[in-house]
Amino acid sequence: MTSRVLGLSCHYHDSAACLMEAGGIVAAAQEERFLRRKNASGFPLHALNYCLQAGAITVLDLDAVAFYEKPFLKLARVLESHLDSWPRSFGSFRRTMAHWLDDRLTLPLSLKSRLGFSGRTFFVKHHLAHAASAFYPSGFEEAAVLTVDGVGEWATVTRGHGAGNRLRIDSEMRFPSSLGLLYSAVTSYLGFEVHEGEGTVMGLAAYGSPVFLDRLRGIVPSTPDGGFMLDRGWFDFSGDGKMYTPRFVEAFGPERVPGGPLGERHCDMAASLQSLTEEILLRLTQGLRAQTKCESLCLAGGVALNCVANQKILDSSGFKKVFVQPAAGDAGGSLGAAAFVSHALWGHPRPARMSPYLGPDCSASRIRRVLTNAGLDFRELSEKELCRETAARLARGKVVGWMQGRMEFGPRALGNRSILGDPRHPRMKEIINERVKRREEFRPYAPAVLAEAARDFFELEGDSPFMLFAPRIREEKKSVLPAVAHPDGSARVQTVREADNPRFHRLIASFGELTGVPVVVNTSFNRRGEPMVCAAEEAVAVFKESRMDCLAVGDFFVERDGN
Amino acid sequence: METRLCGRCVLPESAPDIHLDSQGVCNLCRDHEKRRPEAGASRLLESDFTKIIEKHRGRHEFDCLVMCSGGKDSTAALYYAKRRYKLNVLAFTFDHGFETEEALDNVRRAVETLDATFLTYRSTFMRDMFARLLKSGSPAVICHVCAIWYMGLTYRMAERFDVPLIIAGWTKGQMTSQPVLTKCACNLAAPEYARMGRATKDFLAGLKDDPKYKDFPGSIEEVVARAQKRHKSLVLSPHWFLPYSADEYVPVIEKELGWRQPRLSYPAKTTNCALNFISVQWALKHYGYTHYHVEMSKLIREGLLTREEALEQLRADFDPELLNRIAGPLGFRFPDRTGA
Repeated sequence: MTSRVLGLSCHYHDSAACLMEAGGIVAAAQEERFLRRKNASGFPLHALNYCLQAGAITVLDLDAVAFYEKPFLKLARVLESHLDSWPRSFGSFRRTMAHWLDDRLTLPLSLKSRLGFSGRTFFVKHHLAHAASAFYPSGFEEAAVLTVDGVGEWATVTRGHGAGNRLRIDSEMRFPSSLGLLYSAVTSYLGFEVHEGEGTVMGLAAYGSPVFLDRLRGIVPSTPDGGFMLDRGWFDFSGDGKMYTPRFVEAFGPERVPGGPLGERHCDMAASLQSLTEEILLRLTQGLRAQTKCESLCLAGGVALNCVANQKILDSSGFKKVFVQPAAGDAGGSLGAAAFVSHALWGHPRPARMSPYLGPDCSASRIRRVLTNAGLDFRELSEKELCRETAARLARGKVVGWMQGRMEFGPRALGNRSILGDPRHPRMKEIINERVKRREEFRPYAPAVLAEAARDFFELEGDSPFMLFAPRIREEKKSVLPAVAHPDGSARVQTVREADNPRFHRLIASFGELTGVPVVVNTSFNRRGEPMVCAAEEAVAVFKESRMDCLAVGDFFVERDGN
Repeated sequence: METRLCGRCVLPESAPDIHLDSQGVCNLCRDHEKRRPEAGASRLLESDFTKIIEKHRGRHEFDCLVMCSGGKDSTAALYYAKRRYKLNVLAFTFDHGFETEEALDNVRRAVETLDATFLTYRSTFMRDMFARLLKSGSPAVICHVCAIWYMGLTYRMAERFDVPLIIAGWTKGQMTSQPVLTKCACNLAAPEYARMGRATKDFLAGLKDDPKYKDFPGSIEEVVARAQKRHKSLVLSPHWFLPYSADEYVPVIEKELGWRQPRLSYPAKTTNCALNFISVQWALKHYGYTHYHVEMSKLIREGLLTREEALEQLRADFDPELLNRIAGPLGFRFPDRTGA
């Protein structure tokens, strides 16, 4: 019986691989973590090698490879969009075609030449892969499914329905009407990097007022079916130049130079964009709720990483439960393509619950060697001691690098590749920024809270295990958690269940025992501009080159001199 | 004066090729440090290995010839070839008369368990050369001379059975960037091998007047060049492409193939032939380090071994009786405990 399928997503941004066997997710990882280059977009050789080794198989044992889009359909869209803006798009056309003629159109041949794989290859439509990545591991028997991103082949938004192993797309919105591209265009207008700065803009939004919302509504009018249109006079998605036109700049003022000062106008623009995004998503989800009558919603696509909008959907769309896949962006397409083949085509049972911990682990012997060779003094501790020691340091205001178990799949650090701090400390955000992260001052850090105590601190119904919702901090707790409170009173919460991550749960519980607050600051373990650490060597390098106080890697605890 | 060791790896200062800086770190470690940012991107991957083997699978009587010494690394390579990559294997063992029964037993158990076709070759051809090397006092490295012989022999066997791939059990510590043996093997021009390489070449050049060895290759490069003219076999080791260390594969071969660690071997935790003790003693005398120091230093740089572990495994304090018992058949006797 066909059982093993390798899902791949690549050639745009954030490439990744995912191995599924008999319906279970064996491993998944993003290529950037291995190449140490953020949003690496090339063929995910390192990630797929890791996935196969995690499954104790080689490429020769695979029954199929599943790719997260249909390349010829996508090429048609790319060609048409270049033709639309010809001859202005000539330069972009030349550059783009060089990539297309490389190996995008000949994946089976490429798999043979790169890997020695000559088995079956499936091409799953981009948004169907997103939908599958959200529905199949959601744990919902039946759900409405919404996918929203920049663009796949032609689709930018799809609405669908899943039940059991069946998944169908009922309707789609098409390029160039794209909420993802709109968000990216304004992100670049505000001087942040596309595919990287969208989260920053979401954070910036809380500092502004949506004074441009009406004008944005004017250029993104709604349609009778609950969707929207993008007025092409304001945007240019034809190539690799600016995504907004001079008309946009005339209307909203000069674009911000990357790295330049941030003013009130920039904050207001971010707030306006965020409000419009929430409006559109609410309209879409409310329509989907009315249409499907489902109580559960699955969300995927890059826009589903917008945790502020997700919270609005959870609060106001009418759906009782919302599942957002932790790698909701294009990396998750690898999971979706594999899941579609595994469940829809081969009929394997669906997993009961998805774990985000699908990446590489690091053995104790390897960690010991890395620490020894780095010349660091360390202690090997039991889990109980490790959690107590770490919690004690956190309670004293120390910053701890925490690398445990398998790496997270998706952009969020969820307690296995995390930098931790004390959320009660009013200056903790500044301290983490000064010592390691060097992020923009306005960006918030997220709290990780024991799931059983979440409601005591946050206005949250249900779980937020993947840090993809941003509920409000309870009024009476705002003064308790100054380090994680955003100006709008929200926080991007991760709820931690013992069953999902026993060690991280134990650490937070230990911190709670010491302080009465079972919450820690949790941000990704990396330096600015770098991907999250993957291997122990990288964790040690960040520790050595930063001013982090402690490092807990596996069972080993390291303290910087003088702590 | 005591030789100074690099503070990071286990190589000693050895003019003119290995030198320590003011912080006590050798030039090889410094070079490695400079290359480090690209390490992730340039690492060999298992898919590189499968890509190669799939080009050759099923086109010949045997897909590959696996060089089996009975040690952990070559036994694991045989295991991978049969079980992981499902190749049709010709297992090949050579014995120059100094292989241990424990090692040969390991090979026999492995090929029986894996049901591999097995070819063994025993020869006394090299004995006179080893004797001549010792008696001449040449600083040539016995293991290097032996490697030239057994690689030539292995290529001939691959030619004889028309095998396209030769699989060795060389570790990442035995890998260099220069593809001397068509993607593998020691780079004798590298600083850590330069003096040893020159001495071996000089010694072999002096053998040309001996009818028995007049056609013996003068270097490993010559072995490869000759082999490539006759039969193009590609030589590679799965260990270079896999992320696993001996810690991970030794328990597997112990459990599945009944592999056993010999009581006595150098370095610790290896399965090298008896003559290896003499080769090590000889290299330590002439250079202050051996090719094992080179290998383990590389493993340290890759994070696969600590300096302390390496120093422990490399401790050489051989019983003179043991050395003389091995050297006896070569008509050589070590003068005392300390000198060779």
